[in-house]
Amino acid sequence: MDAMAAVKQTFFQECEEQLAELETGLLAMERGEAESDTVNAVFRAVHSIKGGAGAFSLEGLVQFAHVFETTLDHVRNGALEPTADVMAVMLRAADLLADLVAAARDGHTVDSGRSEVLVGELTALSPGGAEAEAEEEDDMSDFSFTPVTVAFDFSDAPVDIGRSYTITFKPRPELYAKGNETVLVLRELERLGELEINCDASGLPSLAALDPEGAYLEWTIKLTTEKGEDAIREVFEFVEWDSSLTIQAADAGSSDAEPGADSTEDAFAALLRSIQGDEAAQPATTAEIIPLPSAEEREAVAEVEAQPTKAAAARNSESGANANAGAPQTIRADLERVDRLIDLVGELVINQAMLSQRVMEAGHVPGSAVALGLDELEHLTREIQDCVMAIRAQAVKSVFQRIPRLVREVASMTGKQVRLITDGEGTEVDKTVIDRLNDPLTHMIRNAIDHGLEKPEVRIAAGKPAEGVVRLSAMHRSGRIVIEVADDGAGINRSRVKAIAVEKGLIAADAVLSDEEIDNLIFLPGFSTASEVSNISGRGVGMDVVKRSIQGLGGRLSITSRPGKGSTFTMSLPLTLAVLDGMVVTVADQTLVVPLTAIIETLQPKAADVHGLGGGSRVIAIRDAFTPLIDVGRELGFRNTATDPLAGVAILVETEGGRRSALLVDTIQGQRQVVIKSLESNYRHVPGIAAATILGDGRVALIIDVDTVIANSQSDATILEPVLAAAG
Amino acid sequence: MSATILTVDDSRTMREMLKLALTQAGYRVIQAEDGVHGLEVLKTETPRVIVTDINMPRMDGFGFIEHVRADDSYRGIPILVLTTESDAEKKDRARRAGATGWIIKPFDPAKLIDAIRRVSA
Amino acid sequence: MTTVSDPSQRILELAAALDFRAAAPLTESLLAMRGTALTIDASRVERIGGQCLQVLLSAQQTWSADDTALSFTNLTPGFVEGLRLLGFSEADFTKEEMPE
Repeated sequence: MDAMAAVKQTFFQECEEQLAELETGLLAMERGEAESDTVNAVFRAVHSIKGGAGAFSLEGLVQFAHVFETTLDHVRNGALEPTADVMAVMLRAADLLADLVAAARDGHTVDSGRSEVLVGELTALSPGGAEAEAEEEDDMSDFSFTPVTVAFDFSDAPVDIGRSYTITFKPRPELYAKGNETVLVLRELERLGELEINCDASGLPSLAALDPEGAYLEWTIKLTTEKGEDAIREVFEFVEWDSSLTIQAADAGSSDAEPGADSTEDAFAALLRSIQGDEAAQPATTAEIIPLPSAEEREAVAEVEAQPTKAAAARNSESGANANAGAPQTIRADLERVDRLIDLVGELVINQAMLSQRVMEAGHVPGSAVALGLDELEHLTREIQDCVMAIRAQAVKSVFQRIPRLVREVASMTGKQVRLITDGEGTEVDKTVIDRLNDPLTHMIRNAIDHGLEKPEVRIAAGKPAEGVVRLSAMHRSGRIVIEVADDGAGINRSRVKAIAVEKGLIAADAVLSDEEIDNLIFLPGFSTASEVSNISGRGVGMDVVKRSIQGLGGRLSITSRPGKGSTFTMSLPLTLAVLDGMVVTVADQTLVVPLTAIIETLQPKAADVHGLGGGSRVIAIRDAFTPLIDVGRELGFRNTATDPLAGVAILVETEGGRRSALLVDTIQGQRQVVIKSLESNYRHVPGIAAATILGDGRVALIIDVDTVIANSQSDATILEPVLAAAG
Repeated sequence: MSATILTVDDSRTMREMLKLALTQAGYRVIQAEDGVHGLEVLKTETPRVIVTDINMPRMDGFGFIEHVRADDSYRGIPILVLTTESDAEKKDRARRAGATGWIIKPFDPAKLIDAIRRVSA
Repeated sequence: MTTVSDPSQRILELAAALDFRAAAPLTESLLAMRGTALTIDASRVERIGGQCLQVLLSAQQTWSADDTALSFTNLTPGFVEGLRLLGFSEADFTKEEMPE
């Protein structure tokens, strides 16, 4: 990738951050928290996007950002009140800006009609309305229209043969104090042509009276150049304010440019002309001019923000404090290094556990000095582990920030009025989880608005406010993160859900189900309550897919619903994908770990419940349903003969696809949290095994991949569809 | 000879762009993310030229320039401000704060180097 | 900075960068040597700006008015180039300012 492309990539990354900042700020303003810091941050976000877009000649983006920025500036300087109506336009403008950024990034276009409408609305908000904006447009056009420059070129043409100018230049002390330097100005001037320089030192006092930082000299310069006066003015661009300057063409009238209050406009006009001249002379974009970077520059950096400080910033803004005031110090670190550190700490934890066990085996009793020291070591080790995991922890804010826009979109598509309330966006969770949170959450929100909330007229008829509420909250609960999406809609229509499930053959017509069981039918594969496929909740994706992807993260999704009051979807996820809660079991003298999230219950098989089927496969009756009984030892090739089911323990598990099976193991050792070690990176991929871990006693235990084990067993034997059918 | 340039800009994009253009031209580049950070950096580094953005969190470009100019140990360091388009009012404020010159955004690398050469030996 | 080789003839060695920051210290050094014959050694000079030029020109005038000798020696290309751009030539600084 060339260097400029890398910068462009940075630009788009930064745009994402700024768009998030913009959205957060606008929402705060919408809530009436229009503090100047908030407004400034919002303005800066748009301004920054505009600046970068300009560098990459993204015209559409620059133009819209400019109009948006102008309107925001009116709010910033108090000329425009951020009323609800104003904020509604601003929020839609932010959405369009996000689309324009995405379009620029992905190389497609955005409907220009949308842009025009919003430009119109934003312009109408400006004090003075369209008039003021027209001026602004003119201002811009000075820089983008070539005719002006062409005219300038014509006036320049006759000078090509070389023309003489007489320049008088007398610096004032400020010129030097501000870091300018006469000798450098003259050096630049010499680049334009021949110079004849005369210095008048008559004003110079004797050394005793001299202010070393004063300015006493005056220069008269004769310049012969092929360039025009504008090029000369450009040389004096930085210094003309702090000097007396005249530029006179040898055969033309004088053109004084005495800077001062009354001539500022002239000088500025000259500046404008000089800029236009340059733009015309060098129309190439920056991208092409910059040569290839050095190897050092090219060095790829996959960087990640060090998270605790970011989270701290999130907490700051959450508590209403100005996030800028305590702008956190951050470092950027290679993600691989962080992962390596996490890995090493994982090994340290295991090592410490092994050491503890050995010490106990060696006969040290709890309470002995060695044991107490070990306790302390364990405590420290855990603390280190927590701290290291926190480096990768990220506030869910980054995911929550995208939700308000989604809500507005879905609300407008469904004609529903929605108020989104978010809570606990500072709640932290491991980056590995954050990255995979967006999709399920998007579906849950779409579902809540599309299926959960009623249309305004229906709500009013039911005695509810026309505006529905969707509440999105995050919290930590017993070592997991719990995210809830609650709506105050009509709740699950249980008779309808049941009817659909019967119609689709998901349950028997005469099945007797509890309210909770009916509610959970919506998670079954193939279930969709919308009679036609809605393009909002849909893309043909049902809640079953959402549930599966959450289970894929080691999470659980559940629903509670109250008729007329609304529904709440609750997902709970592990705080990290680097450790796992598992049930440690024994199979044919091997120690295995079954992920706890997959386990529904464990039971002791009774002879009456186990039935043999053809091909050596068996089923077990668990509460009115036949469930495949999978002999884990045989399935994984630990032994060739079948185990006596009555001597083992059956673990009822559910796959990510919602299928239930019972895993037959020899004994259960207990539950514990294990550090996941990838088997593939250390060894090779083993079917039926997801990963490995090292137990406290130093033994390696394999973590069962429940889905694969079940899928394999079913391809081996007769496939028995597990259904919620009542057993006959 | 590689003279050091301090760039002060809250935008990572702009910082990278400046760095690219300046290192290509043989300058050594040090970076700061806003005015406060810029003053922090100046405690340990003496750049040949400072290039600063105006609109920044914590301390904007004007405040930064005023602070630099108020401190005798930084006397004479040229400061160029990055400003967009025709913003005469910003340029004027920057000048009054003590800026040496300005660079119009979006900048062309050649113009950036030009501006730096115009204020530094 | 100064070496005394002959009690009546003192030497002032100029700094490498005769910029804005150098003007005040240069003025002080010169004022401290006022009344003595002085040779200004420019061998280290890399560049010179408008204000140090003012100081040196003023020193020339002052020494001349004081009837004291002031001469420049070891003019470097950087020094000469700066003088040229500021409208002076090497000759303006090498001709002996002899007391009359």
